[in-house]
Amino acid sequence: MGGDGTDRPPDDEAADGDLPRGSEPVALGHRLGQVCADLLSRVAVDGAGITVMGSLAGGLRGARDQIAAVGALSSRLEDLQLTTGEGPCLDAFARGVPVLTADLAAELGRWPGFAPSALAAGAAAVFSFPLQLGVVRLGTLDLYRTRSGGLSRSQLASALAAGDAVTEALLTDPDTDPGTGEDIGWLPGVHADVHIASGMLSARSGMDVGTALLRLRAHAFAHGEPLREVARRVIARTLDLTDPIHDDPRPTPDPEDDHP
Amino acid sequence: MLAERCIALLDVSAAGIILVDGQGRLSVAAASSERSRLLEVFAVAIDGGPCVDCVRTGEQQLCDDLTAADAQHRWPRYARGAVEAGFRATHALPMRLRDDVIGVLTLLHTRPHALSDIDARLGQALADAATIGLIHERALRRAETVQEQLQGALNSRIVIEQAKGVLAAESHLRSRTAVDPEEAFALLRRHARSHGQRLTDLARSLVERTVDPSVVLEG
Repeated sequence: MGGDGTDRPPDDEAADGDLPRGSEPVALGHRLGQVCADLLSRVAVDGAGITVMGSLAGGLRGARDQIAAVGALSSRLEDLQLTTGEGPCLDAFARGVPVLTADLAAELGRWPGFAPSALAAGAAAVFSFPLQLGVVRLGTLDLYRTRSGGLSRSQLASALAAGDAVTEALLTDPDTDPGTGEDIGWLPGVHADVHIASGMLSARSGMDVGTALLRLRAHAFAHGEPLREVARRVIARTLDLTDPIHDDPRPTPDPEDDHP
Repeated sequence: MLAERCIALLDVSAAGIILVDGQGRLSVAAASSERSRLLEVFAVAIDGGPCVDCVRTGEQQLCDDLTAADAQHRWPRYARGAVEAGFRATHALPMRLRDDVIGVLTLLHTRPHALSDIDARLGQALADAATIGLIHERALRRAETVQEQLQGALNSRIVIEQAKGVLAAESHLRSRTAVDPEEAFALLRRHARSHGQRLTDLARSLVERTVDPSVVLEG
């Protein structure tokens, strides 16, 4: 994990109620982090991440979490996909098939918002695999390389097998057991600051939280800044987005428009 | 449907599937007719029929003639009940998942009947197919549950974070002692507890402006 995401304590405080947890809060995340780490050598990628979401619509409005991330760019790529509302992870989730992009530079038209920013961040190839059983999808396994190049047959097989192993873990781990009610301590909450900032911006400006999130995303996209940094500045009151006129002298592209 | 296929393929009079739940209890999952269903229920209830033995041993339990002395001796109540219901032969085939027996495919005949080698193999193949279908169905049901749970947890997370932001910003706007998001969470939780509300519901009310933030900020 790129030094990030460890700055938040395990979020058992966010669980509804105060029932004691049945298992170690980090057990599942730790296991999945290991799966990601193993993939680096086996599939020859520079990073791997696991993003969970319950639906595409939910994922687009931020109801998603990155429960494991290995490699310097994994959390940045997740941040970018939430910012732009497009990218390989969302496509893999929406279509239920692997999205294999050996040369991201050749796919600028496919993801006009995501691809240039991902390239600028240092990603050259991205591979996303849906975590699914039948028609039920739980998220994606996302790999990237800092040099372009496709997966060999055996690398593809390893990645698919890893995706199945992650799905299996999500389906069988006690952390995700439905019996634990609304216990959400196993979710790291990587986008927590974005949602806190949305709430703050909503209270300060009167816009609803959905619109507030769009303002944050638009600012991040227009200024090439990570969404999570924008959120932190809003929380710290060093960035005021309540007045759209004074924020962006340039026209702000609406990332939502890029997604049908 | 599988029970009906058995009748067509194996020349049997009735067929049924009995499943074992996590606690080892047996229940009738499918039967080719209500008549055999009644008998299966009977077999489960008496805790001494071939299905029970099949689950326990993981082996096929073949009985060519229920009126024979050994059958009467092995499963006295089952044999009597089955014969009274009009059946003379019963074959129980295990539905195995690795080392576990998750169910039993039971074949019934109205005449004395020896299961041929080929029919025994075909019957076992059908039982195995049923096992695969069952495992898939269970896994899919579990996946759907996890997906719903995941969606609920993620939505819950979002709205709680948003409410923390709303409270923190409101405390600042109202020139109170400003609270940071973590302090806001403590206030949120305290208010929800003392009013017997679900945290997520309270958070949603704050975000949707149906509850005045000062109510929570003032404890």
